Amino acid sequence: MRVNRSFPALTLAVMTLYGQNPPVTYERLKNADKEPGNWLMYSSNYNSWRFSRLDRINTQNVSRLHVKWLFQARQEEKFETTPLVVDGIMYLTRPENEIHALDAETGRVMWIYRHRNPPRTYNCCGKVNRGLAILGNRLFMNTLDMHVVAVDAKSGRELWKTKMYDYTAAGGYAATGAPLALKDRVIVGMAGGERGVSGFLDAYDAATGKRLWRFNTIPQPGEPNFGTWAGDSWKTGGASTWNNGAYDPELNLVYWGTSNPWPDYNGDFRAGDNLYSCSVIALDGDTGTLKWHYQFTPHDLHDWDATQIPILLDGEFRGQRRKLMAWANRNGFYYLLDRATGEFLLAKNFVKQTWMKEFDDKGRPEVIPGNEPTPEGNDQVWPGVDGGANWMSHSYSPLTKLLYVFAREERRVFTKDAIRHPTTAAEESDRPAGRPFFNRRAPRFAPEESWGKVMAIDPPTGTTKWEHKVVSPPWGGVMATAGGLVFGGTFEGVVFALDAQTGRRLWHFAGNDKVYSTPISYLAGGKQFVSLPVGDVLITFGLD
Amino acid sequence: MTRIARKTVGVLVFAVAACAQNPLSTPQDVEVGRRLFQTHCSYCHGSSGEGGRGPDLTTGQYRLGGSPEQLYRTIRYGIPGSEMPAVRASDDDVWRMAAFVGKIGSAGLDEKARGDASAGKVVYETKGKCAVCHSIGKDGGTLGPELTDIGRRRGIGYLEESLVKPEADVPVNSRAIRVATRSGQTIVGIRLNEDDLSIQVRDTNDSLRSFLKANIKEIRRDQPSLMPAYGSVLSGKELADLVAYLSSLRGVQ
Ligand code: HEC
Ligand code: HEC
Repeated sequence: MRVNRSFPALTLAVMTLYGQNPPVTYERLKNADKEPGNWLMYSSNYNSWRFSRLDRINTQNVSRLHVKWLFQARQEEKFETTPLVVDGIMYLTRPENEIHALDAETGRVMWIYRHRNPPRTYNCCGKVNRGLAILGNRLFMNTLDMHVVAVDAKSGRELWKTKMYDYTAAGGYAATGAPLALKDRVIVGMAGGERGVSGFLDAYDAATGKRLWRFNTIPQPGEPNFGTWAGDSWKTGGASTWNNGAYDPELNLVYWGTSNPWPDYNGDFRAGDNLYSCSVIALDGDTGTLKWHYQFTPHDLHDWDATQIPILLDGEFRGQRRKLMAWANRNGFYYLLDRATGEFLLAKNFVKQTWMKEFDDKGRPEVIPGNEPTPEGNDQVWPGVDGGANWMSHSYSPLTKLLYVFAREERRVFTKDAIRHPTTAAEESDRPAGRPFFNRRAPRFAPEESWGKVMAIDPPTGTTKWEHKVVSPPWGGVMATAGGLVFGGTFEGVVFALDAQTGRRLWHFAGNDKVYSTPISYLAGGKQFVSLPVGDVLITFGLD
Repeated sequence: MTRIARKTVGVLVFAVAACAQNPLSTPQDVEVGRRLFQTHCSYCHGSSGEGGRGPDLTTGQYRLGGSPEQLYRTIRYGIPGSEMPAVRASDDDVWRMAAFVGKIGSAGLDEKARGDASAGKVVYETKGKCAVCHSIGKDGGTLGPELTDIGRRRGIGYLEESLVKPEADVPVNSRAIRVATRSGQTIVGIRLNEDDLSIQVRDTNDSLRSFLKANIKEIRRDQPSLMPAYGSVLSGKELADLVAYLSSLRGVQ
């Protein structure tokens, strides 16, 4: 309807090039907060706040919230997408690597773009995709077979497609995260930390698809920190970049988290800190050169990727105004860093933890022995393998000045695996043959030994203001709004709105399938909506 | 388009698989499969398949089927919508890993019980009253796990323990809970499902019940197993015969 509403009356003179869809310039992206009706990038703004400035849905009326429309994805994969909404059009990715453009008010599809992957692609955890970036009139998507594609936002036509890397190399590369667009370029990461790859972060020219820079997350021979990997282990060390990052336009720094070193649970052949795995890296947006890094988990043995999304905020720390970075890490600790210099300011655990004794001044953790994975399986380690936080987004509200984290409390087993490169698996295992495996009693974890909690954390101190407990550790994130609410969805599919001040649940909806994403909010037709994938359905809620 | 294409593939695989045994399942293949499992799978399923990040594979019960072809498919292609990845290995090696998984999931197959299975069947049906809670084939109650193929899934030692010390190993989906409602009712049963809004229970009368959490005063999860301990109820011979009977239940294959 919207598309050709008044076409007969339209004269060529008033038909502008873009009509109702003006291009999303870098200026608009930088000022995303000034367009609360739109959701212009994965994390809502360059600070990754995932905060909606809309307040039409608020603590007073949220009890009336109800389903307005559904997008039925009809597929089996985890539906991890975060849609973008630009001037009434919603763009989302559906597994594998399809882009759908819909009317954001009604959910009616306008066009579909399909990238076809080969039948076998190499993913640790599903053929997922988390979303898009937009710049100008172009949408950008990463693909499972390691391409970056640019698609015209109006037509769904492919504009360019660039191969990032051979997806069959090592144990297999893939790209699942959303790109981040800035200036004239898109920043894209890759996955494969479970498959002996060698990580990098790339920048591509938004207009042509030409690669502008590549930062290798594992130092190459001759580069600083090369010596943090024993022997040849650097060649297959992982340190992928599979989620989204943040950007500070003033400092021109791109911030990105890196994954675990490979092999995940066996460090015997990769002695050393294994830089820059499990780290945040700060790169110059123009050149991709490293400005600073901080490693959360040196020589990780627990698959505690640092691929959470950096949250940037400015504030006082011990009486001094600073450019800060807040980070609730998979290893169970909340960190505060100075994002101009990378200086470690504080760390505090936000879930139960057993592995860390104390941090030195530089933020290096002293590890408690006994937390290593063992061949028999070590079930005494907290947090569990999926961490206190994982890739799901956190949210920061500039109104309450609180950081909202949907955290995981979990008891699981860590098993030290045999070291073999995935491609040379047929080699003999060095494990003693004939270990008894019949009738071994499995570790049985009672449901109540694991749970989830939405937490409100005070960023400068790391103290918890409130907690809202839920049945299971979540795989979805949270979004705070100017309506005084925090939205999210549980692993059982309970979509909720909490009071941002107290954590009390004010509204819920039984979605009855797993939530693997984080809500967004936007305006369409003058009304506020909240959207969240539950199972394979994107559910959009509204008031009237 | 995609849907049709996928269906066709499914049909083809099925056609090939329907008549297929595992082509690589000699003891040597199982041993190679075990080593491959250490490399590709142990970090999620534990070094002996006992579970961890991924489920316990030694129970012999598979959501997606436990026939050689079904295991092959699960391992070859992974499970969409889950952490379970497609493995990167040759087709032959996938068959070998399927052989290994099949082996650990059929712990009872190689074992022979001492007791008299036909006498055990009588104990099961009369003195033991086992059918109140368990079913074999289509007959029996549903409070306890189905026993149709228990002799394939579980070894002798495990079966003995199940009868004498049931609480030693209670599968997560068979744990007893006690729900106390605000209106003063108390219900004991097995948890079928739960979220933050409600909980679903099979009670000890084998009825399906659901309670809104808003109406619940307390949920106790520290309850003893609903499986009675038979050590003092049955004689040593009766127990041995019963174990022999359970061990003879190898499923309808
Ligand atoms: C990254 C973790 C991970 C790895 C590696 C992994 N699995 Fe799994 N596996 C899982 C999870 C999680 C499930 C449960 C998926 C579900 O049912 O939703 C599963 C399920 C299975 C199942 C099906 C169980 C059923 O009930 O049908 C089999 C069989 C299996 N895995 C075998 C293997 C084998 C063999 C390997 C090695 C080649 C392997 N897995 C590697 C995580 C993993
Ligand atoms: C009052 C109900 C009840 C009765 C009667 C009962 N069981 Fe059970 N049984 C259960 C429940 C519940 C479980 C699962 C919990 C557990 O393993 O402790 C179970 C578990 C078992 C298991 C283990 C199953 C597995 O998959 O690991 C076996 C074997 C078994 N019962 C055999 C018997 C036999 C034989 C009898 C009769 C002598 C019997 N049960 C009587 C309720 C019952």
